[in-house]
Amino acid sequence: MMGIRFMRRLVLPTFVASMYFFLYIPIAVLVVFSFNDSLFPFVWKGATLHWYKELWQMAEVWQAMRNSLIVAFSSVVLSLLLGLLTVYYSSRIFLSRFFPIFYGNLGAPEVVLAVGLLSFFVLFSVPLGLTTLIAAHTLIGLGYVIPMLHGRFSELDYGLIESSLDLGATHNQTFFRIIVPLMSPALMASGLLVFVVSLDDFIVSFFCTGATTQTLPLYIFAMIRSGATPVVNALSTLLLVISSILVLLFSVLKVKKMDVL
Amino acid sequence: MKKEAGLRAHIVNEFSFFWAIPAFIWQIMFFYVPLFFLIIISFMHSTDWSSWNQITLEHYVGFGRPMFAYIMLRSLLLAVVNAIICVLLAYPIAYYLSLCAFRWKNLLLFFLVLPFWTNFLVQVYAWFFVLERYGLVNSLLVYFGLISEPLSLLYTPFAVYLVMMYCYIPFAIMPIYSILEKFDRRLLEASSDLGATFWQTFWRVTLPLSASGIRTSFFMIFITSFGEFVIPDLMGGGKQMYAGTLISHYFLVERNFNVGAAYTVLAGVVLLVSVAIFNALFKRMFKNLRNGS
Repeated sequence: MMGIRFMRRLVLPTFVASMYFFLYIPIAVLVVFSFNDSLFPFVWKGATLHWYKELWQMAEVWQAMRNSLIVAFSSVVLSLLLGLLTVYYSSRIFLSRFFPIFYGNLGAPEVVLAVGLLSFFVLFSVPLGLTTLIAAHTLIGLGYVIPMLHGRFSELDYGLIESSLDLGATHNQTFFRIIVPLMSPALMASGLLVFVVSLDDFIVSFFCTGATTQTLPLYIFAMIRSGATPVVNALSTLLLVISSILVLLFSVLKVKKMDVL
Repeated sequence: MKKEAGLRAHIVNEFSFFWAIPAFIWQIMFFYVPLFFLIIISFMHSTDWSSWNQITLEHYVGFGRPMFAYIMLRSLLLAVVNAIICVLLAYPIAYYLSLCAFRWKNLLLFFLVLPFWTNFLVQVYAWFFVLERYGLVNSLLVYFGLISEPLSLLYTPFAVYLVMMYCYIPFAIMPIYSILEKFDRRLLEASSDLGATFWQTFWRVTLPLSASGIRTSFFMIFITSFGEFVIPDLMGGGKQMYAGTLISHYFLVERNFNVGAAYTVLAGVVLLVSVAIFNALFKRMFKNLRNGS
């Protein structure tokens, strides 16, 4: 019969290794072909950096990147600000009981959220563009930020806040000198998460932008649809490098958070 | 002096809950109000406000067409199969990461989280190189002489299912992992010491205790893949319609918001009903499991 050791030492590791192989094979092929010296993407003809140079010269890509970054930064700042204020000020009153209303943002299929926002904007003739995108991404961000900040906040020692108030600090002083520093690991972690989610978001952006505003995922989608060139591979490789750096940052922050506790 | 400051803090506290309101307003305005209007539009004659008093069911005629039933069944099948496969494959990975891996744990976790943080379209795009007519799979199969002609793998339901599974697996692992992570290892040792085999321990101890993680994973994937439209569009070549592609077709191609809204409402009802059914099934299944049958 299969013993525990056999399962744990042989069967499971083999399975996990093959799953990782499966997860990374397509990505590896994608990266390799970004260095391929051939316009036809599926034949290997030697290494080149040509596609990276071409990517560098494409003004539209950088414009799309700029739009994506504007939207991501704004939605991070807005969702953190709204989230922190809500978590802090509703902590001692009944409002925190209503936090589950924010969970719908992640629970509902994104298409439903996207078409809802689109018809809402169209119905009230709000011009589609960066503003509507920021509004939508902040909404998605709140779905991540509020549970994460609430989790961290409820772990805090309420005595610290009380003693700060007892020692004569105002609520504002307490907020900026006590709460913000104590919450900063959670703020950084959730902010980073919202940043990546916003940068990555396709479906909501696809519905909630006008014809003129492109974000990076929308641009990639258009490129894939209109017949891809290795430039897409170069761009994808670049994005992969960026996301690995962000994940590293995130894990470092999480480790720090453990230290604080 | 101190008392005064305390009083002031108290007063500030009484009114400062106003600062808690903006996030709620944002949430209601951009989440609940749009959903409400989506339902309203589906009953309006046109998106023009002047037709607000003409309540009509004309946009719901699609409900009776067999096409709609096929699309719903196809999407439900995709969502269920995808959720089951993802949970089945994710469970051993989560189990290994939380209970067996020690030395490589952080590295493995890093590589697991990475695809989640990678642009979703990049992940889908990567599969073109694997499934293409002259892509990786076909090249390997031809090279080893298993087939003489390249298979057409792209733009098939197979490609849709495969890439769906690929993109959703990381989402399935996390909820199960976080449950197993908190798992008391001594239970496993106790079970083993008392003479249980690996599978007995698994069925009687590990699985029932991780039921909530499985449930979260299943429903997360089921709900999100029901509405998926990028993968059916890019990998299926738009040949077959799914719930997500149907909705986006009416909103973006036909620009008929009323019909699109009606289909969204209908698809939402189908989704909610099926979630309720699966939830009931889950409860029953795990009740049986706990009773040891």
